[in-house]
Amino acid sequence: MSMIKSFFRKYKPFTSAGFQDIVAYRANFICFLIGEIMKCFIMFFVWKAVFNSSESETFMGFSMGDMVVYIFITFLTGYLAYSDGAYAIGEEIVDGSIAMRMIKPCSFDMCFLFQEMGSNIFKICVIFVPIVLGVEIYRFALYGAIQITLSAFLLYLLSLIFAYLTSFYINVCYGFLAFFLKNLWGTGLIKQVIIDFLSGATIPLAFMPPVLRNILNFLPFSSLSYTPVMIYMGMYTGTELLYRMGMQVFWLVVIFLVSKLIWKSAVTRLCVHGG
Amino acid sequence: MKRVLKLHSIFIAQYLKRLMEYKVDFLIGATGILLSQFFQIVFIGIIFSQIPALQGWSYYEILFIYGFSLIPKGIDHLFFDNLWMVGYQIVRKGDFDKYLTRPINSLFYVIVEKFCVDALGELVMGIALLCVSIPHLSMPFYWYTIPLVLVALVFSTMIYTALKTVTAAISFWTKASGHITHMLYMTNDFSKYPVTIYNNFVRTFITYIIPFAFTAYYPACFFLTGENPLFNIGGTVIAGVVLLAIALFVWNKGVSAYESAGS
Repeated sequence: MSMIKSFFRKYKPFTSAGFQDIVAYRANFICFLIGEIMKCFIMFFVWKAVFNSSESETFMGFSMGDMVVYIFITFLTGYLAYSDGAYAIGEEIVDGSIAMRMIKPCSFDMCFLFQEMGSNIFKICVIFVPIVLGVEIYRFALYGAIQITLSAFLLYLLSLIFAYLTSFYINVCYGFLAFFLKNLWGTGLIKQVIIDFLSGATIPLAFMPPVLRNILNFLPFSSLSYTPVMIYMGMYTGTELLYRMGMQVFWLVVIFLVSKLIWKSAVTRLCVHGG
Repeated sequence: MKRVLKLHSIFIAQYLKRLMEYKVDFLIGATGILLSQFFQIVFIGIIFSQIPALQGWSYYEILFIYGFSLIPKGIDHLFFDNLWMVGYQIVRKGDFDKYLTRPINSLFYVIVEKFCVDALGELVMGIALLCVSIPHLSMPFYWYTIPLVLVALVFSTMIYTALKTVTAAISFWTKASGHITHMLYMTNDFSKYPVTIYNNFVRTFITYIIPFAFTAYYPACFFLTGENPLFNIGGTVIAGVVLLAIALFVWNKGVSAYESAGS
């Protein structure tokens, strides 16, 4: 118990530093958020037009209410699971400033993780409640009854945490790659576009051809966005729910171990000159 | 004017030399843009695999509007990308001093300094979409269609550039305004689809307040139907001219309000 306590005491300053950082730039944060959320509204209107033009009530198994949930909860999930805290790690190794991290009595990934948690607390305060409330009010107006169940909501939260941690460790691995890729605007864009596609954030996996869908469902990317969103929508139940969350945990562990492995091999070869 | 064009070509030549050094960077940037647009098109394709028309618009009409929207966006991105940097860091770091000490107009110098080849991703995709969609559409063709296409492209690019200039100029008072540019710039995505799918509020907003609808939907609508040239093309011209006038006014005010960073 005291170990856990001292663990949190050790990393709390990182969290509050991350929090203060984002609060200091809150105007930037809000403006970027408004810019990004505009995309959701475009998709909302596109889907509204699709359902207006279609004779059937559903589109490949999704109703308008489902689509609204999909658009906004995908945005929310992507936003909260997004991680770029560790992107600079490759550069730090190249220029040797990583040494500053190694002489501190804390593990490198926990520093990044807790620092990012600070900004995530702020993000959750600002966008989580309005989006979830908005979606649920819309669905209530559409169907005349509350659609979300408490268990679906709690499972979504759990799944979102897995999604965030997976995204965090994928990003750590990507950060090491920055060695070779350099950190360019273009590489970041390509990474994001590909992950958005593979994770079902651009196009729901359900709309894809069965072969592609099965492959993407198995890959780690679907647990970044598609799995939590489907859980929120109540599309997964019973054994399928267990299987999907199990997959999330499985990939989280695999990617965590890979990042540790890269870190170990990088550290043993690391050689920092002077200062 | 001649001097200005000559200077511009010198700057582009310089930039191209720099670019040759970093071929991979450019390829990666352009590929990134191309890829993100490609997935959007796949998405539109999936929608049209289930419905024959989107509120009266056929698949190829939507592709035409989408493709048309990318071209002014790409031209603006290609030539005027450095305006982003004014709002993000040039003013905040006090680097704007440099632009004031040269014997050319500061706005012109900011603009010509960078030539952003990543934009070829948008231009290639835009032109490809037009090439794919036009053979499937029975568009009216008059002798003035081609000149009007050029007019529409020039003035829609002007809408983009003027909006970026105004928002970049805000940084002369606030030190940084990149986030404001970003926020307004993102509304341009609304122009990729016909405005008829939006509700009245959005429609009014992107027509009269931030007139991005004139960068794609309205001119494209004229080329598709041949109707209402006065509003569809004339509106683009007026929006471009008015915004540019505002932009120049705000920029000049801003430059005189500029205070360098003391250090």
